[in-house]
Amino acid sequence: MARKAKRDLTMEEQLARGPLDLPFLMLVLILLGIGLVMLFSASYYTAFRDSKPPVSNNPYFYITRQALYAAAGVAAMYVVSRINYQHFRWMAPLMLGVAIVLLIICYIPGLNAPINGQRRWLKLLLVAGPTYQPSEIAKVAVVLFFAARLCKRDTEHKKRFTKRTATGRTLNWLEKIGFLELVPYGLVLVTVLGLVAFERHVSGALLVAVGAAAVLLVSGISLWWFIGLGGAGAALVALMYATTGYVQRKFALWLDPWSADPQNEGFQFRQGMYSIASGGLLGRGLGESNQKYGFVPEPENDMIFSIVVEELGLVGAFLVLLLFALLILRGYWIALHARDKFGMLTTVGIITLLAAQVFFNVGVVTGLIPNTGISLPFFSYGGTALMIQLAEMGMILSISRQIPAPRKD
Amino acid sequence: MRTRRKYEQGLSWAGAPTGATRGTHSKRAIFRRTIFLMGVCGVLMFVPLAWKLWDIAIVHHDEYQKMAAQQQTKDYTISARRGNIYDRNGNMMAMSATVYKLILSPLDLVKSVPNKDENGKTLDEEVYNARVAARQDQMVEELMALVPTLDRERVVKQVHNTKSAYWEIRTNIEEEEAETLRAYIAENKTSSYLYLINSTKRYYPYAGLASQALGFVNDNGGAYGIEAVYNELLEGTAGRVYTTRTAGGTERFNTYASYVDAVDGYDLTLTIDTTIQSYLEKTLEEGIVDFDVQDGAFAIAMNPKTGAILGIASSPEFDPNDYSKVTDELLLSQMEADKNEIYEKLKAANTENLSDSELMSRAEAQAYSNAVNTQWRSRAIDSRYEPGSTFKAMVLAAALEEGLVSENDTFYCSGHVQVADRTIHCSRRPGHGHQTLAEAVGNSCNPAFMEIGRRLGKDRFYQYYEAFGLMDNTGIDLPGEASLKNAIWTKDKMGEVELATASFGQRFEVTPLQLICAFSAVINGGNLVKPYVVQTVTAQDGTVIQNTQTEVVRQVISAETSQRAADILERVVSQGTGKNAYVAGYRIGGKTGSSEVKQEEDHTIVSFMGYAPADDPQVIVLIAYDRPLPKVLGANCNETANGVYISGGNMAAKKAGPLIAQILDYMGIEKVYSADESAAVDVSMPKVTGMSLSDAESALKKKNLKFRTIGQGDAVARQVPSASTSIPGGSTVILYLGDAAPEESAAVPDVTGMTYEGAKNALEKAGFFMRASGVSTYYGNTTTAERQSVAGGDVAAIGTVVDVRFFNVVEDGYVG
Repeated sequence: MARKAKRDLTMEEQLARGPLDLPFLMLVLILLGIGLVMLFSASYYTAFRDSKPPVSNNPYFYITRQALYAAAGVAAMYVVSRINYQHFRWMAPLMLGVAIVLLIICYIPGLNAPINGQRRWLKLLLVAGPTYQPSEIAKVAVVLFFAARLCKRDTEHKKRFTKRTATGRTLNWLEKIGFLELVPYGLVLVTVLGLVAFERHVSGALLVAVGAAAVLLVSGISLWWFIGLGGAGAALVALMYATTGYVQRKFALWLDPWSADPQNEGFQFRQGMYSIASGGLLGRGLGESNQKYGFVPEPENDMIFSIVVEELGLVGAFLVLLLFALLILRGYWIALHARDKFGMLTTVGIITLLAAQVFFNVGVVTGLIPNTGISLPFFSYGGTALMIQLAEMGMILSISRQIPAPRKD
Repeated sequence: MRTRRKYEQGLSWAGAPTGATRGTHSKRAIFRRTIFLMGVCGVLMFVPLAWKLWDIAIVHHDEYQKMAAQQQTKDYTISARRGNIYDRNGNMMAMSATVYKLILSPLDLVKSVPNKDENGKTLDEEVYNARVAARQDQMVEELMALVPTLDRERVVKQVHNTKSAYWEIRTNIEEEEAETLRAYIAENKTSSYLYLINSTKRYYPYAGLASQALGFVNDNGGAYGIEAVYNELLEGTAGRVYTTRTAGGTERFNTYASYVDAVDGYDLTLTIDTTIQSYLEKTLEEGIVDFDVQDGAFAIAMNPKTGAILGIASSPEFDPNDYSKVTDELLLSQMEADKNEIYEKLKAANTENLSDSELMSRAEAQAYSNAVNTQWRSRAIDSRYEPGSTFKAMVLAAALEEGLVSENDTFYCSGHVQVADRTIHCSRRPGHGHQTLAEAVGNSCNPAFMEIGRRLGKDRFYQYYEAFGLMDNTGIDLPGEASLKNAIWTKDKMGEVELATASFGQRFEVTPLQLICAFSAVINGGNLVKPYVVQTVTAQDGTVIQNTQTEVVRQVISAETSQRAADILERVVSQGTGKNAYVAGYRIGGKTGSSEVKQEEDHTIVSFMGYAPADDPQVIVLIAYDRPLPKVLGANCNETANGVYISGGNMAAKKAGPLIAQILDYMGIEKVYSADESAAVDVSMPKVTGMSLSDAESALKKKNLKFRTIGQGDAVARQVPSASTSIPGGSTVILYLGDAAPEESAAVPDVTGMTYEGAKNALEKAGFFMRASGVSTYYGNTTTAERQSVAGGDVAAIGTVVDVRFFNVVEDGYVG
């Protein structure tokens, strides 16, 4: 397809060809670069020690894969950024449907690809190919779907029901407090959350909820719903705390991790602490971590940030966090300047998801919050997740293209 | 329209659109909420994260890092090889070799059992426990199969003690066995809970030889003897490795690693000669059997000029390879007696109401500990005894040096002397009568020495006592020299009686080592030398680190006095109480001693101090036996059950003579015979058969042989012994003339108890020859044959040379 001349383009098409938000792009690439370097440092010993295929003691195993996925991810980011994001509007329900189907497949033995007994994985071609988590897709799908619907809130008219019947009056009241409007979102959310949570992937469900909540919040849903749902959530946790030993143990571990069995429950926390403390202000130097030699569990994954601190020190860690903060701020900046409400909500959802992942990951590593098992974007090993992450960044970049140029007056 | 109607009826769920939109909020509110999220996610949420990071990485940096370092680093020592100990000729006396210990960590054994199944699911507690138990049982079986000698009960206990991370399953594993264990460990990947560690084992190739001098090594290093004194030099400096490590324990050699090599221990070369040492020990052993000795014995051989100890032995001895084992039979029987005695004592004072078996086990433990302490002691150093007559040599030297006596002085001994209110007897009750100084020394006459002591006086006695080094420890490089506290009276407490008894060596104590050093000073030209056992200290590369030089503490007497004293002492052996130490061809000097032990009844230490050659002493030997058992106890009986008179002259000297001869032979010192002696030296029988009697006579005369003839004729038809047989000079050979033929064989007469001439005649008459040994002069009725090489009554070929050992009963026992 020959490239059309600019004058032949419609207004829409011209907008879609606008410039990328360069600061955002640069921040993504810098973080990706640092992430790859750190992944290599953190993972080569683990890979070297792992004699099982496909790793087979190849110290470059993780970094090679991650680098390939990163390259593919950057390509995906570029491609996505070239798509006029308005197309996402119609894609959203489709994506949601696909995500739900994939989540259901996770429950089908033979088609799913459980790892360590957890059913959160699928193979790309169901029977072959690299594994990925459908919940990653579900996260974006929910955000997109919510954004695509909620952006029309301002043009959506309130419904009125007959006042003659009690049902009608109730419906009218529900409409008045804004409940009816939330029903479809609620249904979608409950379906997706349920599917994800019962895979035994609570952290995934948490992220889906955070993404959805962010979109709902920004779209202008009454704050009381958030207060109410938040209260209900807290009550649920309290109930679980009171009834199940599991939650109690998790809390006890969180509140006093040092008295836990250092060889068992307290192991990961302790090793993370040792790692961070060893880093000190300036760190041991890149590649010089001692803790990655079998002490920190899965240093290439959830605990990678502790290795970052150990090697780069508090200064390096702050720098990484600063880059994340800048990326997040720039993301919200794009959201605020987005051309339309759809773009804005999508950006807010995706960026809040990213921020939540950073917070939950670093929070766990530092012992700030209970252990959840959420990976650090751009750093943790996981090719498909990285690819999806980069594709999400591509969406934001695509949205950034259509930001109207500031008027010069 | 249908919808509309339903709505009218209030049945529609869908409702009808109204004018108001759902998004009633203005753009402002949306903007505010976005800004709010931006603030929370972009700034606020980083605050607690940053605070936490700061708290951990900076505030708790030291605390946590210390804990981290503990698990990340490996800090261990590399043991240095312990140095070897060689004797003076370079024979290995002690060496270290690498052995291994098999270590089990029951704790890690449990950990090695995965608590998840193949699919990564956590196992139920019960299933897991069952698996652990199964693994433990399997471990026990495997260990038993690997090392069948293990005590199963103990292994079971060890494997199930899951709190422990370190059990020594087996120690002292040698290379061959270690090989199989290593293969097992590698094959089963047990190294996280079952592994070998290096350790060293000390080997003493000569087993019990010089055991007390060498000492032994226990877990804390050298514990006794040279091993203890020279522990620092022997053990070397352990190296140290400090590296970071992986969780699996693999060392990581990076820039943080430091590696300090171990410096191996130095080798020691001793002055002790294993051959001489073995002579000493053999002699002690023989004497203990011959004289029914109860409390052990000791012997020292030293170079009197340099102080180098050639051998130092104590009996009972032990095997340093297995130092806690009591093997000496005498000691074992003593231990048994000791045990019963302690048991009775404990039983009598049983305040804790222990059962009999408990008391018995206590008594056993105590008796055992006494026994091992006895066998580890080097009595020649760490015990004191009354020197007895051997001390007279020092009194003699002091008196000679001071000019208080001379060779021309005569002394009269009536058998007893009145000193103050006491009557002190001589060992020979009837007395020695008139005697010259040399005779008095030779007779070991107590009254004569009391007289010499009186002339010397208290002050000079003390002055010389100190000068001979008897007030101080010798400073030998062996541990445990006995304290000299109260070994002798203080000067002001020394009265006439004390001086008199001290003059013949009684009522004060010295250590054997002190005595041999003092005696050496008397005969070596007057120098008191410091004894030592370690000649050189050598590094592994052969560099000599330290070489011991003779240290002369002081000159005690002049060389001239020393010469005079030595001449007199030589006569002790050639003519006096030391006769039994005489060996033809060697000029041995010396002094006997019989000392009472703390006035205990029936407890005598018999000793002999001998040196040779008298004109140029190369070796001095002190040998002593503690408590030869008298035939009748408590009756002042002076004879052992087999009839040996209990005294230094009859016992120690008799053993010392052959011992010194053996040592001199070994040292390659040539025999020099006196005229008398050379007469008895063996000659080769010439061939006289076929000669005329007169020719034969002259041929035999040339060889210093006598002859007698049997039969009639002029020519010698046959001869006994046959040509080139070696027989003692002066023997009477038999020449058969004419048809006379010798008998093939005959019964050997019993000559024990006969005098020299009697024995010689009896044997020669029967067609045998006698080779005499044992004493210097064979004349006089006190010298009698003690032993013969072919027992009386046995049949032997005619012409056989019978070795007869003569013995001289000496009256030199202690009589107070």
